[in-house]
Amino acid sequence: MSFVQNFPFFSIILAMFSGIISSVLSGKKARNLTLMMIAVTTALSAGTLMFCLKTGESYTYMMGHFPAPWGNEIRAGVLEGVTAVLFGIVMFLSVTGGLDHTARDVEESKQNLFYIMIDLMLSSLLALIYTNDLFTAYVFVEINTIAGCGLIMIRQKGRNLSAAIRYMVMSQLGSGLFLIGLTLLYDVTGHLLMSPAKESVELLVATGRYRIPLLVIMAVISVGLAIKSGLYPFHYWIPDTYGYATPTGSAVLSGLVSKGYIFLLIKIFYRVLGYDNLVGTHMVNVLYLFGVCGMIMGSVHAISETDTRRMIAYSSVAQIGYIYMGIGLGTTAGMVASVFHIFAHSATKALLFISAVGLYEVSGDRKDFVSLRGAAFRNPLAGIGFSIGALSMVGFPMLSGFISKLLFATSALDSPEKMMPTLIVLAVSTLLNAVYFLRLVITLYSRRRPEDKPLPKQTTVRSSWALRLAIICFIGLNLVLGMSSQPIVQAITDGLAMFD
Amino acid sequence: MEGNVILLLPVVCPILAGVLVLAGKVFRKDRKSLMAVLLAVLLLEAGLTAWALTSGGSIQVWRLTSQMNISFHVDEISRLFGALTAAVWLLVGIYSVAYMSHEEEEHRFFGYYLIVVGVLMGLNFSANLITMYVFFEMMTLTSLPLVLHERSRAAVMAGLKYLFYSVAGAFLALFGIFFLAGVAEDLTFAAGGILNDNMVAGKEGLLLASTFCMIVGFGAKAGMFPLHGWLPTAHPVAPACASAVLSGLITKAGVLAVIRVVYFIVGPDRLWGTWVQNGWILLALMTVFMGSMLAYKEPVLKKRLAYSTVSQVSYVMFGLSLLTPLGFVGALSHVVFHSVIKHTLFLAAGVIIVTTGWTRVEQMRGLGRVMPLTLGCYTIASLALIGIPPASGFVSKWYLASGALSSGTGIWSWVGPVVLLVSALLTAGYLLPLTIQGYFPGHDFKGEEIEKRKLAGKEPSLWMLGPVGILAAAALLFGCFPDSIVAMAQSIAAMVL
Repeated sequence: MSFVQNFPFFSIILAMFSGIISSVLSGKKARNLTLMMIAVTTALSAGTLMFCLKTGESYTYMMGHFPAPWGNEIRAGVLEGVTAVLFGIVMFLSVTGGLDHTARDVEESKQNLFYIMIDLMLSSLLALIYTNDLFTAYVFVEINTIAGCGLIMIRQKGRNLSAAIRYMVMSQLGSGLFLIGLTLLYDVTGHLLMSPAKESVELLVATGRYRIPLLVIMAVISVGLAIKSGLYPFHYWIPDTYGYATPTGSAVLSGLVSKGYIFLLIKIFYRVLGYDNLVGTHMVNVLYLFGVCGMIMGSVHAISETDTRRMIAYSSVAQIGYIYMGIGLGTTAGMVASVFHIFAHSATKALLFISAVGLYEVSGDRKDFVSLRGAAFRNPLAGIGFSIGALSMVGFPMLSGFISKLLFATSALDSPEKMMPTLIVLAVSTLLNAVYFLRLVITLYSRRRPEDKPLPKQTTVRSSWALRLAIICFIGLNLVLGMSSQPIVQAITDGLAMFD
Repeated sequence: MEGNVILLLPVVCPILAGVLVLAGKVFRKDRKSLMAVLLAVLLLEAGLTAWALTSGGSIQVWRLTSQMNISFHVDEISRLFGALTAAVWLLVGIYSVAYMSHEEEEHRFFGYYLIVVGVLMGLNFSANLITMYVFFEMMTLTSLPLVLHERSRAAVMAGLKYLFYSVAGAFLALFGIFFLAGVAEDLTFAAGGILNDNMVAGKEGLLLASTFCMIVGFGAKAGMFPLHGWLPTAHPVAPACASAVLSGLITKAGVLAVIRVVYFIVGPDRLWGTWVQNGWILLALMTVFMGSMLAYKEPVLKKRLAYSTVSQVSYVMFGLSLLTPLGFVGALSHVVFHSVIKHTLFLAAGVIIVTTGWTRVEQMRGLGRVMPLTLGCYTIASLALIGIPPASGFVSKWYLASGALSSGTGIWSWVGPVVLLVSALLTAGYLLPLTIQGYFPGHDFKGEEIEKRKLAGKEPSLWMLGPVGILAAAALLFGCFPDSIVAMAQSIAAMVL
């Protein structure tokens, strides 16, 4: 066994330990430790990815000395590697971009708690990506939920508490459904490791036994994780949660956390339940329908928002809809498009949240349209960052959003009965995206009018270097995803092939 | 990156120069250096374009995905549009040196002015549909600041309208591109279309629908009904030099995109006699008539000219929609002629506004006493646009009408010429009153205002009058010697049809 194969395990445990150590450190030290840890885990993930690309196959890694079908396992392949690297980068940049806001928004004595949450969050995300074991998945889903609640609550303003409680309730509902699904699955298959569970499922499907329970399992697991990732119509917690958390919190929650659940769902689809079985039982059609509704309704809600941060949050609802729509197409091409959109959206949404911070800073921390008028002149870099993010969301060419739209559209052409609705909804949703994002961009670049209320005395005049660096790197990430998508799409295709 | 690198120069140079102008602090204060850079870059651009157009070839710049790449090439269409763009952009640039002196924040205007010409060149040189789409979107974004320049409330609203119509149109077209990317492996332009029967078997209906979407979508930029609404709002609020290029060249980019889609990707044979062709002809003729009607009723000069653009660009669309060689020749020559004429008219309108502050046509009585030469240029261009021989509009309209009559498109072959004739009458009706009232204000006209403000004989400086005169002369001379342009259009028509 090569030493590199230990890396996934190292990265999970490293993230966890730095969380534990952070609890006794001061805020500043915890911050430095966290940043270092994220950088190291990302490097480790990159190592894993390189290894998988070189060998061209995935491997499973036994934890402890209990061989299958007991014990628990980690599995790493190309897709896991790519996702882990990308999540690591987005996490690092989100934390960097929000540094001074974290310092301002969070009480001095609780700074280290914030970074503990980040550590735990990363560790659980990595575990969700790498796990080959359903029960481990469940445990980390819970850890992730708790860390997420902490991230929202730590700001300790009135609405944050209610947002956190709402998030908690909805998440627990999702986790509960997921747990019921796992329990049922354990009942009918007798396994918690993914590979043997899949063998049993295939056998059950072939013999036609337990048809109804299997259907229920598929439904409950899908809906459980869909609630946690904020698929329409289970999206009510999203705007409050993303709208009132700290900037880093919003970027991480919208860019990564919901995507982690979706990744887990895809993994379970492929490695446990069998994607063909889901297509066969028409389960995917339900997801497709929800996804399509989400694409439209998310944008409709976003249009009627005046608080720009809630608007960005509602746009997440629409984008999550895209992802589920791709999964629901029931083809490999659709799945590739969805996974690419996971990447594209986490890079873009985090860019939007982080550069929005730069714009709020120069508008007296106000978030409505009127106060933001002309903000792009007061903070040019943030203005450019936000415009690029918005254009990418709308789907302008050379940016990441364009590539995912293209992948969605071309994959839709393969499934005759879903082709027309998909193309039409894509077109309508793109237009709706354009309506609210471009309106905001124009607002940012228009001149303040005399009748506008004067801005309060500005708290910061110049953004910190950390914020600028984060914005520049996010823009770069977006351009890379948009302009040289080929290797990434190839890696996704290979990685999905390895899932079987 | 492989191929002829020269093709990149006319695209990249002005964009870089524009970014430099936007970023450089020098250009905010020092007007002289700004103007020097502007004119130098525009001259350089004309030279580079000429160089690129004569050297020809193609270049692949970037691979976007396995089947899509960003690449440029030069073919006859690129030559026609590229030469037109570079020449007109230079003339308008010279004009705006004087015109913009009364505007604020010139560096921003000129920065984007330079960027847009680079983007337009990219559009002209595009070798495939994806590249064209990329530059089409970039053109929308980079030309937006030209509309927004005043930054007044009206300008912002007009800019938003411009943006939404353009984006809506572009995404309508994107729908078609997605479809085409699905059926064809490679979207590189080839004369006569790239699709074969195997690719579209069983999807003919969808092909037609997506082609129609692309025509309507790209047609938004050309001001074709039903997405024409932005044009009469956006053009008048921009500074006159911006409205000139918006009207004269940016609308032609929509035409170029439609030509590329219909004649270089889908293939005219696939559309012949289908509902797409009929729908397209109907939309074009409706726009021709409606635009003229609205222009006739419009009292504000710049707005009137904008409506006239709506109508005239759809002449081009009508010629293209006939799918016959004669119609195609008429359309292409009208692209050139209308561009030259509309620039003359808008620039003349700009001169009037700057010198007198008059915006409505009825204020301009007795204009001949103020600026006889400018009004003369305006009159020549008007006559050319109406289509009175030997001015240029006559030639293109001749081809359009005879192309329609011999097209074999059933009822359209005689409805078309009738609409064109009626519209020509209306054109005379909305353009000539200014000339008549200007030169012959009548006995009761005392001209108190002209005397009071000492406007009599106040021709603009040569910086402004020169380009207007050159363009007006071109509008006349192209009509007297149309051979080279018509021959070029005919050779293109022979290739694609």
